Amino acid sequence: MAEKQLQSTLAATAFQKQWFGDLRRRVFDERRPYALIQADVPFELFDLLEIPAVSNQWWSSIVAAKRQAPAFLDAMSGDGLPEQLCRYCSLGLATTRYARAGEAPWGGLPAPRLLCARLTCDCIHRVFSLWAEAFNAELFEIDNPGASELPPRWWELTRHRWRELIEPHRLKFVAATLERLIERLESIGERRLDRTALRERLERVNRQEEIFDAARRLIAEAPATPVRMTEQIANVMATQWVRGTDWALAHAQHFYDELRQRVDAGVAACPDEKLRLMWVGAGLWHDTDFYTAFEASHGAVFVWSMYLAFGPDGYIRYGLDEPLDALASRTASFNEFLHHPPWAAEWIVAQAREHRIDAALVLRPKSMKPSATGRLFIERALEEAGVPVLPVEADVVDARAWDPAAARKAVGKFLDERVPR
Amino acid sequence: MGASDIDELRAGFDVPFSALGAGAPADHGTVVISWPSVPVEIVRAAGFAPMFARGSEAPTPAANAVLEPDLFPNRLRQLVEAALSGRLAHVAAIVIPRSSDPDYKCFLYLRELERRGIVAGLPPVWLFDLLHADGADTQAYNAERARALLARLASLSSRRPGPEDLRKEVAGANRARAAARRLNAMRATAPRIAGADMLPLLGAFWQVEPARYSALAEAAADSIIGRSPLEGPRVLLAGAPVDSTALHAAIEAEGAVVVAELTPFGSGGVGADIDASGDPFIALTEHYRRASIAARMPVKTLMHEVDDALRGVNAVILSLPPDDATFGWDYPRVRDLLERRSIPHTALAGDPALDMTVADLERVRALLRTAPPKREARRG
Repeated sequence: MAEKQLQSTLAATAFQKQWFGDLRRRVFDERRPYALIQADVPFELFDLLEIPAVSNQWWSSIVAAKRQAPAFLDAMSGDGLPEQLCRYCSLGLATTRYARAGEAPWGGLPAPRLLCARLTCDCIHRVFSLWAEAFNAELFEIDNPGASELPPRWWELTRHRWRELIEPHRLKFVAATLERLIERLESIGERRLDRTALRERLERVNRQEEIFDAARRLIAEAPATPVRMTEQIANVMATQWVRGTDWALAHAQHFYDELRQRVDAGVAACPDEKLRLMWVGAGLWHDTDFYTAFEASHGAVFVWSMYLAFGPDGYIRYGLDEPLDALASRTASFNEFLHHPPWAAEWIVAQAREHRIDAALVLRPKSMKPSATGRLFIERALEEAGVPVLPVEADVVDARAWDPAAARKAVGKFLDERVPR
Repeated sequence: MGASDIDELRAGFDVPFSALGAGAPADHGTVVISWPSVPVEIVRAAGFAPMFARGSEAPTPAANAVLEPDLFPNRLRQLVEAALSGRLAHVAAIVIPRSSDPDYKCFLYLRELERRGIVAGLPPVWLFDLLHADGADTQAYNAERARALLARLASLSSRRPGPEDLRKEVAGANRARAAARRLNAMRATAPRIAGADMLPLLGAFWQVEPARYSALAEAAADSIIGRSPLEGPRVLLAGAPVDSTALHAAIEAEGAVVVAELTPFGSGGVGADIDASGDPFIALTEHYRRASIAARMPVKTLMHEVDDALRGVNAVILSLPPDDATFGWDYPRVRDLLERRSIPHTALAGDPALDMTVADLERVRALLRTAPPKREARRG
């Protein structure tokens, strides 16, 4: 594994491990409730009601990074579940349903009091129903009304004009669902949600994402990127899961300050940076070394992924007189912007231009249907914008069909043949 | 009498979508729909004839260039192919329900293809955002979407339909449903018609004008009732809902009889009548939300459907094609249920609209060797 270049990365990793250890102690020793939720569920509501929330996607990425996924996925296949089903959202389920098949990191997930998922792709209801059964726990679902109004440059509306971005009937529906979620959380947490505190929390989330926005600008504008993409992700995601908390704001600032110092001192992640690469899609959690494999050979550095960039564009909401509506406006189209036409392609091309991207690697996940859809539009739009594209067939958590050497060879060939230096 | 009625019903199911694009005047009165989760009563109340895109063996080269492989079912590839080739240029509208993620993506793709100038001359493409999950706010949301759909469709015609017009369409459709239920009853205990022959008769419900459908289906039932029962293992076809007869035919060529299928085009679509004496929009959307078998149908509801469909069944075949992202998750539940009932099953991985793969054929043969009653020559 490539060495960590930033102190903030080490701090973020340590924080996450400590946080999870504390969670297990609270659940097992103090019998306190916690929730297991999808990444696009509003974590703020859980935190304000003192119900810690674990992200399904985060847990999957940890299992994959610890190289534990194949054993659990083999068990899932052995149970007759077809290979084409989504592995990213179901790996966590596999660690519970087939617990004896492998060794889950850090002692595994304790039983949650509540599972909560937004019904984006069709499989989510199925996966979370099975998971809730396995834990004998309650499931709360946030249904996902579809969008008919499709403003392509959505990120220009999210901050100030979010009521225009989300159709009124969708906003009303999602806000009403969040009201019911709050009722359930209040019952579980045995306390009332302080609406003023919610507004203040969203203001703090805005502040956190403004810091990330500044970090993004630093990366985009510096002569050479001061931070590898993998370290961007480690810092951003550790912060996003607890967004708006004291630790999150302090850590975001620490991350930015470290980047600022590196830029001012002329320190680059790859001193010999020649090519700036973009990764489109979820991270390859089972092989994060892939992202640094082309620095020595080609001076090619991954400078962009959605994880940092989506923070400021996806989360910031100004005008918080009705904070639940603002939160609903984020929830209503959260990952659609990242994957669906027209939103994803327009945004990614704009980001490629802003970050002076020389080439893009676009994930072609075989099992993850939502991430797989829309990618032909993205690839076409990038190529039309002058950014050469290499599609990468891979599953983000399932390493069983992944050939690291062949993948690296293919990228090297692509950089040699298609990317002008 | 019987043969011509059956032929007309079969034609009402088989022909229409492939015939689009042949003549503008005929197409003007048509609304193309991607799955039967759009209340056809609303489409008809607005003065249009519903027509459904379904899977077939027809190649889809243009669609394949813009749709990622293994993500979209055959029927949506056929829909996009028709759009890209200009065959839908003269239909009144395309309405796509939110009944599966691929359907929603198909809506987004068609809009994007038009925005990027890859396809020109599309009719209006609308999403019918029917939510399927149980939830306190769902009923009002869905009813509002139904009102909006009727208003949009009416804006394309000279009609101004009100609740009474909708109730009239519901009543007509209920009579057609009753006729479809009578037809479907011919498959109970001693099936008198093969599944491959029955599916078009039931599926025609969605496209044939209700009064005509009722008359044809009643006459077809009268002619079928006198037939001798078919022999062979009685099979339920479940998993991802099929929309064509190819899989039925392949299974029945091996000596079985498909007596039920969990799809709105077959026995899964002949459910209870709709009571529209109250708010017809609420009645319609609640019916379609609960009864329309699709990827977003809650698993508890679907498992009830499976359970109900097992009566008199000797074996179950699950269709889990490569584009399925949903029904495969039900496999452990379905398997456990079937084990409790001592009903053998198998799962097929091929596209149900195409010829059966060698591997799937072997699975069917292996299943039927174990399924009681023992295979006998078919009669009737």
